[in-house]
Amino acid sequence: MIDWGWLAAHLDAIAYRTGQHLYLAAIAVGVGFAISFVLALVAARQRAFYPPISALAGILYTIPSLALFAALISITGFSVVTAEVPLVMYTLVILVRNIVAGLDGVPADVLEAADGMGHTRRQRLWRVELPLAVPLIVAGLRLATVSTIGLVTITGTISDAFGGLGYFILDGYNRGGFPTEMYAGALPSILLALGADFLFVRAQRRITPWAQARALEATSS
Amino acid sequence: MPEQPAHRAAVVEYQHVSKRYAAARPKGGAPAAPGAVNDLSLTVPAGKICVLVGPSGCGKTTSLKMVNRLIEPTGGRILIDGADVAGRDATELRREIGYVIQQVGLFPHQTIGANVAVVPRLLRWPVARQRERAEELLALVGLEPAIYRDRYPAQLSGGERQRVGVARALAADPPLMLMDEPFGAVDPIVRERLQNELLRLQAELAKTILFVTHDIDEAIKMGDLVAVMQAGGHLEQFGPPAQVLAAPASEFVAEFVGADRGLKRLSLSRVGDVALQPVVTARVGDPAGDARARTFADPFPYLLLLDPSDRPIGWVSQRHVPASGVLEASLATPMSPLLDRRTTLKDALSMMLDADVQTGIVVDRAGRLRGVLSVEAIAAALRPGADPDGIAAGTSGTGG
Repeated sequence: MIDWGWLAAHLDAIAYRTGQHLYLAAIAVGVGFAISFVLALVAARQRAFYPPISALAGILYTIPSLALFAALISITGFSVVTAEVPLVMYTLVILVRNIVAGLDGVPADVLEAADGMGHTRRQRLWRVELPLAVPLIVAGLRLATVSTIGLVTITGTISDAFGGLGYFILDGYNRGGFPTEMYAGALPSILLALGADFLFVRAQRRITPWAQARALEATSS
Repeated sequence: MPEQPAHRAAVVEYQHVSKRYAAARPKGGAPAAPGAVNDLSLTVPAGKICVLVGPSGCGKTTSLKMVNRLIEPTGGRILIDGADVAGRDATELRREIGYVIQQVGLFPHQTIGANVAVVPRLLRWPVARQRERAEELLALVGLEPAIYRDRYPAQLSGGERQRVGVARALAADPPLMLMDEPFGAVDPIVRERLQNELLRLQAELAKTILFVTHDIDEAIKMGDLVAVMQAGGHLEQFGPPAQVLAAPASEFVAEFVGADRGLKRLSLSRVGDVALQPVVTARVGDPAGDARARTFADPFPYLLLLDPSDRPIGWVSQRHVPASGVLEASLATPMSPLLDRRTTLKDALSMMLDADVQTGIVVDRAGRLRGVLSVEAIAAALRPGADPDGIAAGTSGTGG
């Protein structure tokens, strides 16, 4: 069933495509997070902006990626920008909503105490609100990362230069169904998603020891 | 412990302060919005606890929050040590005022030590000094620094959290503290303990404290001065608690302090505030005949038997004092619990009513007899016309 010979001959290609896969996903999540962060801060500060921002992110999410690639190629050509725009767009809806939810979840008494003790708005945001929003922000990043790692595959439809591990899936499919190659694309992609998720969980435990203290307290009482 | 900074206390003055809220209800003669304040004028002297008390919506919390400008008044001025707070930068002002709220509002993501040091950190104290100060304050509020410093708020009980809240408010040694129902969310036993601890701290620190509560008993217990407010933000009465209880300024105040305000006054006064009476006494081993004669010459039908160090042993009914021989300890009947100068009249009366001989025996620290206290003497102290300020004097110390 598995063509071991093919695998052995293509280890270098698999390694290269794995790197590319990670690179495309990382740019998408990184840029998506930067945009979402700014939009979420605007929405959190000016409540009136939240519904339109949230709606726009939702609409972007509904645009089919293939249609978007086709439209973008005429503008940005067969460049990495064409590959990234849809990936970034799809992270926004998850990230904006989670960051805003995280900021909204900061208890009112904590905010009142922060104001009453003399935090400026900026100090309150960076020292109190954002740290407390971390668990929900990380939850958003996990979701966005896992879904983006899955989506990178379709960038292979732009050209063979993209697609990450998705290249193997598409190539195997185009050859009339070559299972070994399709597995060589799909399995590492799944492992990447699981690995990234695991790393986020570990990182969050690290930076939010207080959330563990709270969880322990909740289970013990 | 490092040297304490010189304690300062501020004078707070409300001058015709008003807060009107845009009518929340559609037009019509709707009553004033909850939280409104109407022409509030009062002065809190330095180092005193002033309690703002009243039913919900009376504007007491609004009045408090206008001091640190979490709420801005629509009229009038608030002065701290003569300076209008409106002229101050709000964040700077707030760092100089301790602030304690009912839900505490500790930062869940910071350790207890970091929580206490929040204001010193905002003031950019050196890190070592922040740490030192946090530990000093944890110890001050009765939380062992080595145990609590590195915990998170979620790992503390409600009472412990509220203590951390008080420590945090004290961190930069502010001359003024604002406390908004600080003990409203803890159970009655913990509340009582926290109240007593705050009074103990205050005896030491002598801050100016503005304290909001809806509980008249708490107001009476905690306040050097009590400001009773009514819905619509009217100040109904402002004075020492004894005065508010003895002479309510209005129907509303009388009703708010309750029909049992006479009894409440009992808890404000202590045995030391009332003139004690002498009583016929004799020591164990004294000649009985002489003691019997003195007892029958006195209208009070009991002899108080003392040990050789003047410590009370118990009562002997005049009929049971032998005509001859010497007095023996076994003659004495059990007596009521002993009172001292710091016992509240409420506790004293309660103990006296429970005892066979309804007279309180008052002793000094060494347990020696100082005199006795009768139910009539307590009643006389509360009689209208008795100077309420006189009774209140010296009652702001720690609870018994």
